[in-house]
Amino acid sequence: MQAIDTLTTTTSINEVFKTASGAVYQCDKDNCWYIDFAGKLNRFDYRCLHKLRKAVYHIDVEALLLNPKRSADMEIVFICACDHTYILTHLEIIALKELLQGTFTMLELNHILHERLFRWAA
Amino acid sequence: MKDIMRIKCLVSTEMETILNQQIRKEAQSSAIYLAMASWCDRNGFDGSSVYFFKQAEEERQHQLKFFKYVLDMGATAISPDVSGIKIEYNSFREVFEDALDQEISVTHSIKNIAALCHKEQDYVTMEFLNWFLKEQREEEYKARRALELFEVIGEEGTGRWQIDKHVGDIRYDSEA
Repeated sequence: MQAIDTLTTTTSINEVFKTASGAVYQCDKDNCWYIDFAGKLNRFDYRCLHKLRKAVYHIDVEALLLNPKRSADMEIVFICACDHTYILTHLEIIALKELLQGTFTMLELNHILHERLFRWAA
Repeated sequence: MKDIMRIKCLVSTEMETILNQQIRKEAQSSAIYLAMASWCDRNGFDGSSVYFFKQAEEERQHQLKFFKYVLDMGATAISPDVSGIKIEYNSFREVFEDALDQEISVTHSIKNIAALCHKEQDYVTMEFLNWFLKEQREEEYKARRALELFEVIGEEGTGRWQIDKHVGDIRYDSEA
């Protein structure tokens, strides 16, 4: 958390969405997002954030929970051409999904606000 | 807070998804027409085979148009996997019936994209789609006219030979 505190004071960082298990921040200066989750603070650009969303949404949590096999309660979220990999438990996957859903809803809301403002200004 | 999503990409996520679905549909159409060309060639309908080869190439160009548009708008274009293409037909007429069904289905999916454009007020994509809406007029006309030949010429005697000979002459030249 200390790292994001340092960032917020030095650059234009806005909190996009926060849950009990993590938070997403947007950096307007660098056009990127910082995800504070599972004890890591990772930087994602536009493409990688979309890839992360796709990878996380793609995980069938229900199937994992109902799987009777004796396997580790872990899932590797690997994103191609991205510096970060998450190794998450099932509960963390649910938490990350919730965090990303909230984030993309907020980004969509931000987009709607921008559109409305442009329309009024035009 | 900056709208980075909009800065990076002109179309919405929903629009990107539906455009990628259309890319797949056009690829599927191209593969279907190619299968039709193959069937016609195998069964001695050379004129129709040439007609379907041309249609397959046209559908491929449509696919590429969508593909390039998606990329130009900053979104991700996905190269589709196409499988399960029907290769056998029960009759010469069935080939053309399926061709018309395919065109109707393409028109329907383009109308769905147009509906989303209106919903999202995405007039940029709407303007891009206008070409396809006009193109579908021609595609459906040609497919319908080909089936009409079965009615006006008839399949008896040398009917199918005549139909095969005239399929390549079908033109749509409306400037409206």
